[in-house]
Amino acid sequence: MNPSSSFTRIVRRVLAHPSIVIGGGLVLAVAAVALLAGVVSPYDPLASNFRMKLQTPSAEHWFGTDHFGRDVLSRVIYGGRLSLQIGLMVVLITGLFGTLIGSVAGYFRRLDDPIMRLMDALMAFPAILLALTVSATLGASVQNVIIALSIATTPHTARIVRSSVLVVREMQYVEAARALGAGDWRILWFHVLANSLAPLIVRLTFVFASAILAEAVLSYIGVGPPPPTPSFGNIIANGRDFMVEAPWVTIFPGLAIVVCVLGLNLLGDGLRDLLDPRIKVGP
Amino acid sequence: MPQYLLRRFIAAIPVMFLVSLMSFAVIWLVPGDPASSFLDASATQEQIARIRQELGLNQPLWQQMLHWYGRVLTGDLGQSILLHRSVGEALLERLPVTLSLAALALVLAAVLGISAGIFAAMHRGGTADRAVMTASLLGLSVPDFWLGLVMIVVFAVGLGWLPSGGFVPITESVVGWMRTMTLPALTLALVQTGFIARMTRSAMLDVLDQDFIRTADAKGLKHGFVVLRHGLPNAMLPILTVLGIIAGSLLGGAVVVEQVFSLPGVGRLIIGAIMSRDFPVIQGGLLFLAAIYVVINLMVDLLYAVVDPRVRL
Amino acid sequence: MNRKSFSLAVLAAAVAVSVSVTALHAQTRGGNAVVAITQAPPTLDAQVTTIQSARHINLHIYETLYARDENGKPVPDLAESVAVSPDGKTYTLALRKGVKFHNGKTMGSADVVASLERYRKIGANANLLSEVETISAKGPNEVVIKLKKVQSTLLDTLSSSTAPLAIYPAEEAAKGANKIAYIGTGPFKFVEFIPDSHVKLERFKDYVPNPHYTKRDGFAGKKEVYLDTVTFRFMPEAGARVAALQSGEVHLVETVDGPTKKRLETNPAFKIYKLLPFSFQIIKLNHAVPPTDNLAFRQAVVAALDMEEIMSIAYPDIYQLDGGWLYPKSPAYVGVGLNTYNKPDLKKARELVAKSGYKGEKITFLVDNLRANTDTATVVQQRLAQIGVNVDIKVTDWPTAVKIGWSPEGWNLFAHGFGIQPFEGPGTVMSAFAGGQLHQKPDAEIDRLYAAYSGELDAEKGKALFASFQQHMINDVIAIKVGNYGLFQVGTAKLRNFEPYRIPRMWGVWLDK
Repeated sequence: MNPSSSFTRIVRRVLAHPSIVIGGGLVLAVAAVALLAGVVSPYDPLASNFRMKLQTPSAEHWFGTDHFGRDVLSRVIYGGRLSLQIGLMVVLITGLFGTLIGSVAGYFRRLDDPIMRLMDALMAFPAILLALTVSATLGASVQNVIIALSIATTPHTARIVRSSVLVVREMQYVEAARALGAGDWRILWFHVLANSLAPLIVRLTFVFASAILAEAVLSYIGVGPPPPTPSFGNIIANGRDFMVEAPWVTIFPGLAIVVCVLGLNLLGDGLRDLLDPRIKVGP
Repeated sequence: MPQYLLRRFIAAIPVMFLVSLMSFAVIWLVPGDPASSFLDASATQEQIARIRQELGLNQPLWQQMLHWYGRVLTGDLGQSILLHRSVGEALLERLPVTLSLAALALVLAAVLGISAGIFAAMHRGGTADRAVMTASLLGLSVPDFWLGLVMIVVFAVGLGWLPSGGFVPITESVVGWMRTMTLPALTLALVQTGFIARMTRSAMLDVLDQDFIRTADAKGLKHGFVVLRHGLPNAMLPILTVLGIIAGSLLGGAVVVEQVFSLPGVGRLIIGAIMSRDFPVIQGGLLFLAAIYVVINLMVDLLYAVVDPRVRL
Repeated sequence: MNRKSFSLAVLAAAVAVSVSVTALHAQTRGGNAVVAITQAPPTLDAQVTTIQSARHINLHIYETLYARDENGKPVPDLAESVAVSPDGKTYTLALRKGVKFHNGKTMGSADVVASLERYRKIGANANLLSEVETISAKGPNEVVIKLKKVQSTLLDTLSSSTAPLAIYPAEEAAKGANKIAYIGTGPFKFVEFIPDSHVKLERFKDYVPNPHYTKRDGFAGKKEVYLDTVTFRFMPEAGARVAALQSGEVHLVETVDGPTKKRLETNPAFKIYKLLPFSFQIIKLNHAVPPTDNLAFRQAVVAALDMEEIMSIAYPDIYQLDGGWLYPKSPAYVGVGLNTYNKPDLKKARELVAKSGYKGEKITFLVDNLRANTDTATVVQQRLAQIGVNVDIKVTDWPTAVKIGWSPEGWNLFAHGFGIQPFEGPGTVMSAFAGGQLHQKPDAEIDRLYAAYSGELDAEKGKALFASFQQHMINDVIAIKVGNYGLFQVGTAKLRNFEPYRIPRMWGVWLDK
């Protein structure tokens, strides 16, 4: 089999899904802007100039300025960088712990019940309250926001992994492998996880989206990343006293959130359609 | 059926216990205490110490835990430190607000979402379908607090059509209630509508693919009639499941919307309690929310059993 | 026309004009005013809290023996007069007669004694009464206070509005903190308190305004009520407060920011009130931990800061640049040491940093999440970065800030407001810094000056003592005074005769139909 043609086949299959193309495109565009923040951003996001406060959007300041006189466009660009970093870290941590917990619970029957009870207890509050409590306990910092959001999203991910694991555990080839004497852990990792990969990937895409939204809410309540570094959420939070006078400080970061999250949701949808339309994982 | 309910109820107890343990962990770990809410920036150590003494905050944690569990088992959630009433009273006072908001939002989202989902399913693959699906996804991608802020700026300040916050109980004035609930319910509903529309569409598609639908169509019945009369009832089960899940996330969304619109609901109560360290309210509130979550899940299960005769346990 | 009918005509015209003029300015009785305030009070037990939002409401419900007039000077309110013994240690207060509590009981000396004794035990500022030896009733209408030593500040204390020595009925005064029924002698009577929504008060029908005064005067004077009820709604969101004002749900907003005021001032439906100064913005320094324990470092921080930059971002359009530790109109205000205020000099600052031996370690700037405070920290961080000082901003909520700020560790700088103390006078400002509480290191000089001020009955000598205090604050950089800020209050044009003060006073005002 010619490797390059199977590769092109995969690419063509991927491109057949408009959601992946559009969603992926949006996400890549946002990521590119965030990575190239230093180059793309017209001003220093931290540079205040109090004589230029609350300027309406203009040619010099496409998104206007905030009450420090800082350029909102530059802050939104750097805010995207921080928000995406936070989202990515949450995805990694949730992926790691969710998989660990979910696979242990799914595979080892005796541990299933106690672990899932704990997960249920964590899922019994609105995620936002959980995140708020953790943040208030640990203090407001980027690190703590990541921890808080990860704690809020891990239980659901663990549940999804566990479901897949439960299904696969019963399958023939796992029994066969066990009969052949392969160790539990080996079976777990190679067969079981490979099968849960699809829903996990889809789920993590949606986790990324929800992390960006949740960071914004935490900032709004006051326990998000501290000043002066901008994140999407804290630009809105810091400008909300002036919401009526200078709506651009609120509107543009909000639109940026919508674009990022929409891109991620489209991508997640598309990935699900591509990998396995039957799996019931949603945003 | 009663045994089923009882079994589910008993299964919920360890969860509630874990929740209460977690709330004690919060009290243990979170720095600061309610004394700070009584004093301004120039308070002295001795002022703080005196207030802490008066508020009974110097008891060791295990003692506080013992007292609390003892009280809870008799149904008493304790006394709020800052609100001068029992935690139970505070929660009950605020429940109507949160319930009005969640219920109204759920109804709006269900009506809009289910119709949109059916519409999209019927025009599967066409531009109408794509438009509805994109709109739904867009709805899901909007931060609810931001949407609320924008609504306030546009509708309350800009156009002056609706109030920007506060709550008028329905018993006081139906019109007032409608006016204060409109923007918050819309804000909350918009996000959920997207969910429901997508879920409805996929459930309807599953059902419409089935043989009995084709049979009905072949019999010459109008397609619309077929969809509604034969298709919809069969799609109800997954739709109901979704509504059950949504109810849970509605509560979460309500917490934020209550902040934005200054609605005195349960969410705002708990956030306020966390921010001011009103420990009894934090504990009572978290337990209460967990209980609501359990009840909602139970109700969804019940509805399941009612709608689908095959699910008789 | 002959002279007689001419004069009659003039008289008639004069009468007609004066009648119509009176009709134009007559107060409208009745109506329900709604005031939007930023925070809910933690309690309506006035004695046990120093929180401002509690004052807004409590000073409508309760009264004190003496009260501050428009300029902050103590004048009689529930007391009629005071007689001081020649040695200055015995104060005999004569009470007004016929003053009623909201439950119908007549106020007498037993109530006053009980209330003051309660304050001594559980009042938020109980230490103000630490020099009191005994409080006793002399007959039904006189109260005698005996001091252990001479105190120039007793009347200041009795009239203090920070955590007022409110007079409760003796039965209520017997109850513990926060356990009282809210019964006072004030012009408004308590109706209901929904803790995260509002407090509602109604006009006290049997209120008799103090007959010794003819008009409103600070917290004292003649308190006449024209409104039926007043509701204080708690609205922490600035945007929501403004939106509520514009939609007519609220008649007065406690505070709006500069840009909002600019937008509303051209609208004839609203009236803007400017209250400046209202408070100080200060930055406390921790003298117990390095590097802020080093004088040169502290001086470097001061030298680096541009106070105008900080104030114009934190409090746009509503600030004053002033380095004094009292408000400019205070009788004891002094200009001592102010020639060094707001003289940013980055070069000098860098030299001072070098001199202090600072090695580049991170210093912590603690703030709560009030925007003005986080903004102050942000600006300071940027300026200090320019002189090579690394600042880490720690934003916490208020309870955590209190916990950290009142311990000697975990912070180097802490920014917040300081408003009621300068209003209450030099003694109150000095007592805040006495004992080293606010900067974590006992300061013998401040303690000495404060003790001397307390015992000093001569106003001029007292002023000189305060001048020394101010000089010491500046020389030693005990804390940094950034500037004064104020409040813009906005009301509907229908709200008449309102004048801003330490609290939004709802007596003496009325609502046009």
